[in-house]
Amino acid sequence: MEYPAQLWPDVSAAEVAATSLLDTLVLLPPRPSALRRPLLLAATTALAAGGSLGPTSGASCRLLPLLLGLAAGSDLGRGFVPASEQRPLQATACECLRELESCKPGLLGGSLGLLRGLLGQEGPVQPLSLLLALALRNTLVLQSRVGAGLGGLLTDKVPPTGGGPWDWTLVEEGDGRLQPQAPSWPAAEEGEGERSLTAREHSPEEARELRAAVIQLLDTSYLLTPVAQAQLLWLLGWALRGLQGQPPALFKPQLVRLLGTAQLTLLHAVLALKAAFGEALFTAQDEALLLRRLTLAAQHPALPPPTHLFYLHCLLSFPENWPLGPEGEEAAPLLLGPQLCRGLLPSLLHDPMALLARLHLLCLLCAEDEEEEKGQLPSPRHYLEELLAGLRQRAALDEGPRALATVCFQASYLVTRCLAGQPTVLTPLIHGLAQLYRVRPMLASHFVDFLDQVDSELREPLKVVLRQEVVSRPGRDEALCWHLKMLAKVADGDAQSATLNFLQAAAAHCTNWDLQQGLLRVCRALLRAGVRGGLVDLLQVLARQLEDPDGRDHARLYYILLAHLAGPKLGVALGPSLAPPALASSLVAENQGFVAALMVQEAPALVRLSVGSHGVKGPLPVLKLQPEALEPIYSLELRFRVEGQLYAPLEAVHVPCLCPGRPARPLLLPLQPRCPAPARLDVHALYTTSTGLTCHAHLPPLFVNFADLFLPFPKPPGGAGLGFFEELWDSCLPEGAESRVWCPLGPQGLEGLVSHHLEPFVVVAQPPTSYYVAIHLPPNSKLLLRLEAALADGVPVALRTDDWAVLPLAGDYLRGLAAAL
Amino acid sequence: MAQRAVWLISHEPGTPLCGTVRFSRRYPTVEKRARVFNGASYVPIPEDGPFLKALLFELRLLDDDKDFVESRDSCSRINKTSIYGLLIGGEELWPVVAFLKNDIIYACVPLVEQTLSPRPPLISVSGVSQGFEFLFGIQDFLYSGQKNDSELNTKLSQLPDLLLQACPFGTLLDANLKNSLDNTNFASVTQPQKQPAWKTGTYKGKPQVSISITEKVKSMQYDKQGIADTWQVVGTVTCKCDLEGIMPNVTISLNLPTNGSPLQDILVHPCVTSLDSAILTSSSIDAMDDSAFSGPYKFPLTPPLESFNLCYYTSQVPVPPILGFYQLKEEEVQLRITINLKLHESVKNNFEFCEAHIPFYNRGPITHLEYKTSFGQLEVFREKSLLIWIIGQKFPKSMEISLSGTVTFGAKSHEKQPFDPICIGETAYLKLHFRILDYTLTGCYADQHSVQVFASGKPKISAYRKLISSDYYIWNSKAPAPVTYGSLLL
Repeated sequence: MEYPAQLWPDVSAAEVAATSLLDTLVLLPPRPSALRRPLLLAATTALAAGGSLGPTSGASCRLLPLLLGLAAGSDLGRGFVPASEQRPLQATACECLRELESCKPGLLGGSLGLLRGLLGQEGPVQPLSLLLALALRNTLVLQSRVGAGLGGLLTDKVPPTGGGPWDWTLVEEGDGRLQPQAPSWPAAEEGEGERSLTAREHSPEEARELRAAVIQLLDTSYLLTPVAQAQLLWLLGWALRGLQGQPPALFKPQLVRLLGTAQLTLLHAVLALKAAFGEALFTAQDEALLLRRLTLAAQHPALPPPTHLFYLHCLLSFPENWPLGPEGEEAAPLLLGPQLCRGLLPSLLHDPMALLARLHLLCLLCAEDEEEEKGQLPSPRHYLEELLAGLRQRAALDEGPRALATVCFQASYLVTRCLAGQPTVLTPLIHGLAQLYRVRPMLASHFVDFLDQVDSELREPLKVVLRQEVVSRPGRDEALCWHLKMLAKVADGDAQSATLNFLQAAAAHCTNWDLQQGLLRVCRALLRAGVRGGLVDLLQVLARQLEDPDGRDHARLYYILLAHLAGPKLGVALGPSLAPPALASSLVAENQGFVAALMVQEAPALVRLSVGSHGVKGPLPVLKLQPEALEPIYSLELRFRVEGQLYAPLEAVHVPCLCPGRPARPLLLPLQPRCPAPARLDVHALYTTSTGLTCHAHLPPLFVNFADLFLPFPKPPGGAGLGFFEELWDSCLPEGAESRVWCPLGPQGLEGLVSHHLEPFVVVAQPPTSYYVAIHLPPNSKLLLRLEAALADGVPVALRTDDWAVLPLAGDYLRGLAAAL
Repeated sequence: MAQRAVWLISHEPGTPLCGTVRFSRRYPTVEKRARVFNGASYVPIPEDGPFLKALLFELRLLDDDKDFVESRDSCSRINKTSIYGLLIGGEELWPVVAFLKNDIIYACVPLVEQTLSPRPPLISVSGVSQGFEFLFGIQDFLYSGQKNDSELNTKLSQLPDLLLQACPFGTLLDANLKNSLDNTNFASVTQPQKQPAWKTGTYKGKPQVSISITEKVKSMQYDKQGIADTWQVVGTVTCKCDLEGIMPNVTISLNLPTNGSPLQDILVHPCVTSLDSAILTSSSIDAMDDSAFSGPYKFPLTPPLESFNLCYYTSQVPVPPILGFYQLKEEEVQLRITINLKLHESVKNNFEFCEAHIPFYNRGPITHLEYKTSFGQLEVFREKSLLIWIIGQKFPKSMEISLSGTVTFGAKSHEKQPFDPICIGETAYLKLHFRILDYTLTGCYADQHSVQVFASGKPKISAYRKLISSDYYIWNSKAPAPVTYGSLLL
């Protein structure tokens, strides 16, 4: 049953399983049997988990009446339930129904009256109460969403619809979607605005019945087990939240009883009510009392530690009536002053979790009394300092387990988070940590992690003192590897000479691969920080002296990089790798970093190109390109390749810099056609990003149209005229081809068409009826057009060319002109 | 409110996996709801194997903490509750309620009835407290009266049947698993109406009520300027009411003698039906004054069948029962120790046992000991670097005893001598262990008149009292000692 996906891979299998379980149930002899209860539970599980629960499922239609009959304690005939088993089965049936209602909210909407009646009689209190509360909650939520009231649901013993007491329509309205059951915590409810309970109004009669039902449930709630009482309170709290005319004071009689207990579930449920109803249920005095009970429960010696921690969490997330701070952030409630917190402060004797939780509270207290009140109480800040010192002392222990160091750094981190901007706390912390490093350098990994996590406010000064700590000590002891690790983190442009001196001294002791790598990592960090002077010498020395060939190679590589790359590029080259390392090895990661920085990266195109209007100057057709950048890019090189080698290879185009939003000059791309045909240009871009990476991108292809190749004929010395045209016209035949094409005309007529498309090529014009056009198609073809005797909707075009391959292109072109207008 | 799954894992340090899943139960109908509620943020319940590994890692119970592991040791991974997020197969399963007790890890995953991204506040998840109560219930069942492994195994084997009663679909019906055990054992014939769910049957027989008050006293004594010694009494009142009737109404009262110390921080059992506001508000948080409520403390209730903890309380008695003084000084190769213990005259001088444990941490085995004691005997555990001063049943007439001597230690060997992160250098403590029967420090008592039963027949009342020490530390006054904030209040 625990693995329904394996047992019933599909809905029909679950249906079959449930059916056979029900068949077995019917076959049981009419005497007490331990099997009835498990069979009911199993059939319910199969239907609910297998997904076949629904109005069309045969098993559902058998199980539901059976369960409801059992729950009602009615006679199911033929001695189906032995008398002795009736009561336990009544409870079981309620549990099954509750599970089905949980999975299909609204299912029992029609049975509210029936269930209420049963609860009033002698049904088992707990199962019926929980079932009724759940069904009531679900119904209220669903009805409010469709804007309906409860109607007579709470009073009708017989369901209003003829279809049976289960309400599949209500389930449908629930959209099959389960509704959050938790009485919505204000912070948890964000984004669920549409369910902000659109003023559910009930008629006075409905409101009265509802109130009576809730009171009925609450009055007998003491008969429920504590966990079930808590469930009931969560359900009713959610049901009544936002209901008009339902004063939450209904809960009041229960509260004193609940506040007195130590039960986690009960206090948690009270907090849920507090969050749901706020001041309407808890006056300021009640709030103070609840807070005091919570405070004492968070430290009561009779309760187990996990409970303390949870109560402490509740205190810091306490749903105040009038919260001051931002929502969702842990904060000490206003009423929780230092006096109340006294017993909740950390000491070294606490286990790590309790210590950190209480430390958080202490930090919040310290943050609050920034002005340092001079009361009788010892200063919390002073206490905090002592505590941190104690933690560092423990972390410094030689044999201490790592957990002691971890908790020390966690505590320090927590303090820096809560008390940022308070030098009185941070300064001693920095010095304390430096001292800890001096005593136990093997905690370097913790320090590196700590530096990674904290804000620069603490990081920078801590780096300085740690660097001093390292470089002021000649490096030859067994802690050298830790010092190098530390230095790789904290070394930067400052105090160069001290750092380099330390490294020079350390180099002699770096006898194994590990240490050499550590040393090189520091060099690398210095390279990144832009240290050049003395580092060149050091790297040269290392490249010669290191024993390990790998180390020498690395030193040489760094030396070459330092000698050949400009500062910013070097920074990028040595920066963290952009690509996730394929292997966890640092060397691989480092190499990938180089690859990323020094090699060309494939990248999405950060530049767009569009073809502009084409110019017709000069002896060659020229494509005018308009570039546009999405991010600033530098040293852009555009490379073009003509598909099918129709043109001579194209020169690359260079642009020094492109910025988004700044208009760029158009780029001119001269074309050298080998034959007069349109072509597709493959475009690649190579550029440098502002972070210094060189990227390569494939841009969408560009299309050179037939018309982009048109050039006018050079003017003959005697001037172009009819004679010139006729000469060209005649020269086309006999090798060439002749054709006639119908060129449709738009509303602008022939004149408009010519002026828009063919103006530069017109040799003879007799507007508006006749134009002779001569087009030179490089490398050496001609296309001659006679447009004469235009009609309203088109013009017949006589055309000649000396290149028959041009004919179909010209035909397409002319036919397309009207459309292109 | 429901749980998606529950596990019991035994922690076995030193074995390859460091633990074994002893019991697990998944709830498929709840899982189905989780899938819908959590939507895109849904993370399925993992198999036992990966869960075990991830949980032990998170709880730092794997044996390998030699190296720094960022996902566990990073300073920003701070857990302040027993509720964890477990990284399993690249996804984070949250919230996992888990804690370790008696080498068993109790864990469950409550259903969160909304999306998990962003994570809802923990306090808004009703399943969390239900999960805790579920696990506490299992823990109570496993460890009530059980002492050895085979009994534990028997109880573990009973769990599947019990959970079918107490938590058939993942929503807990009763955290008291013993009730479910009784339920499965006898099919009650016809239960009359309004039977409380926490009472599975009715008692037949002679009416009797037993009340036992156990007080534990803890103390931190420093004998130092500027640091106050602290001590506190924690009381537990356990009752068993064998009374006929479905819901007998009973009122139990606890009394204090005229010079008794008021009870504070009172937490009651849920069967208590109402509570006087004086009881509810008497708290150790407030400064004490003479107006503090000093009883009688009346608890009206309808008792369950089984034995139950009627209430817990704390109290601040005016003086600690035994005032101690401990000096330890390092003198070249040896330690010189001086101890004085004084029993307060108001305390009953009749112990079941009384001994002082004097451990020496972070040192080698004891090689040589010279001592002089005014009373009792000294036992030496050389390998454990521990002295036990057996004081016995009575302090002498002077009420004051002393021990002094010198101890020499051999070379440290890490396996045998205990490590302690606090007792470094001369920082050291001695710990008192004692028990006094038929006595409470507060004076709190119950007697024949303490029980009112609103039912036929006067029950036989039996009352018991005892005082036990717990965390009773006396620190070396010649060295720094860990203090609590409370000790700084002078």
